[in-house]
Amino acid sequence: MRKLSSSPLIRQAMMTPSPSFFSDGKYFALDDTCSHEDASLGDGWIEGEEVECPIHAAKFSLCTGSALCLPASKPVKTHRVEVRGDEIWLYPGEAVEGAELIGDGAVAS
Amino acid sequence: MSPAESLPEAVLIVGGGLAGFTVAQELRKRGYDGTVTIVDPEGLPYDRPPLSKEYLDGSVPASNLPFVEESWFEKNSVDLVVDRVAGINPDDGIVTLESGALWTADVIVFAAGGRARPLPVPGGDLPGVIQLRTKADADGLRELLVPGRRLVVIGGGLIGAEVASTASKAGADVTLIDPVKLPGAMAMGQTIALYLHQLHEAHGVRVIDKPTTAIHRQGEEWMVTIDEGPLRGGSEVTADGVLVAIGIVPDVSLAVAAGLDINNGVMVDDSQRTSHPRVYAVGDVARGRAPDGTPLDRHEHWQSAMQSGQTAAAAIMGQELPVHPAPWMWSDRYGHHVEAVGSMAQGRLVVRARDGKPWVSFLLDDDNRVLGAAAIDGGIAIRAAQRMIDHGTVVDPAQIADPAVNLKKLAR
Repeated sequence: MRKLSSSPLIRQAMMTPSPSFFSDGKYFALDDTCSHEDASLGDGWIEGEEVECPIHAAKFSLCTGSALCLPASKPVKTHRVEVRGDEIWLYPGEAVEGAELIGDGAVAS
Repeated sequence: MSPAESLPEAVLIVGGGLAGFTVAQELRKRGYDGTVTIVDPEGLPYDRPPLSKEYLDGSVPASNLPFVEESWFEKNSVDLVVDRVAGINPDDGIVTLESGALWTADVIVFAAGGRARPLPVPGGDLPGVIQLRTKADADGLRELLVPGRRLVVIGGGLIGAEVASTASKAGADVTLIDPVKLPGAMAMGQTIALYLHQLHEAHGVRVIDKPTTAIHRQGEEWMVTIDEGPLRGGSEVTADGVLVAIGIVPDVSLAVAAGLDINNGVMVDDSQRTSHPRVYAVGDVARGRAPDGTPLDRHEHWQSAMQSGQTAAAAIMGQELPVHPAPWMWSDRYGHHVEAVGSMAQGRLVVRARDGKPWVSFLLDDDNRVLGAAAIDGGIAIRAAQRMIDHGTVVDPAQIADPAVNLKKLAR
């Protein structure tokens, strides 16, 4: 468990490979590397509850890590984030409830 | 949404490339529970962009090419038939396979893609002249990508340029031939296209901007004849292999025989439906129309193929058609990632430079709305430009040219 600043710039304070995202007032943490090819989702475009890979435009759900469109078909790992008052707590390695599980080549729904 | 009983019971997809596979994937994502069948002689659907890059140089193995693992087809109840379609009878919904098998379907999706355009010169169709459409083509081409082997690439478009980059990095002796002085200018604008084109020679690729007039074979060697103009006549380039990469022709033969409306592609409406109500066409083979009925250019790029598949799936289910962003493409060469969005054909060019090199080119209309953009290693700039195009944002040319200005903020 790591305690983080509550700044919207939180992801810059984070250690890769697990960037956090601040979008529409919510915090999310996902693995940084796209499940398709080697690219940093931390450099991607965030809109609503989606992040788009900056290289080939695969989209992932910030909530569940699911791949939303090709060329990615495998999810990326999520990490639970909790807001406690003005503090944000990250639980690296602990998947978000409802997140798509990694392994067995699971394909995003 | 239409009531379930009005949905077709069976959808058969002819071709398992990106567009055809996307139809199947999208139908299941949208909850379609009828029969879905993909017929493709190559089997497990796979992604083709790596064939000129990461798969060609061996850094991405064949096992990484499929869009999904084989188990996906069972999990999603999608049948994959490894065969070639021999004929389509749209009126009766019957598809005949080369093996002789007959399939019936309520909806047929035509996703046959394109074939490599043959070079219209003597010897252009000789056996052994290389084309790059399939994994097997890439496997054959890879044998030439070793130090000292001489490769001639005819065509300096995306595939030709990417192969020249991959081959020269592997140490092959590469000659790139294209009579167009600046390939890529229509897709990426003059400034970015020029910067990229100059990378060929900087990486040891010999560039010849003359037309090819003939290809001959002498034993193991290939001779490519170049027209050097009226004063100098012809010259020859000797090679161990010749790749012809001058674009594609839509593979419409089955659609012609099926009586569909054809015009350099299978004509489709906004829902990807062809002139026959039972048949949809998606991907490189399909050609849409502008609102006034004029045929549009076929946008032979990866994302358009996927989006056409998404649209067809929505239409088959009687659902609202998805709205797609401005057309986008990418290319990778000489260690640079290049992207373009919208139209780079005509408008006022504004260049955003970094370290004295072009970084992002914008094309603006008279009202300073963004028509298109191209960037070298500038994915976020292109995503910003895509939103600006989609929203009709009026920009300040001085601002977008300033590398210190955050384009993401301007696009919000």
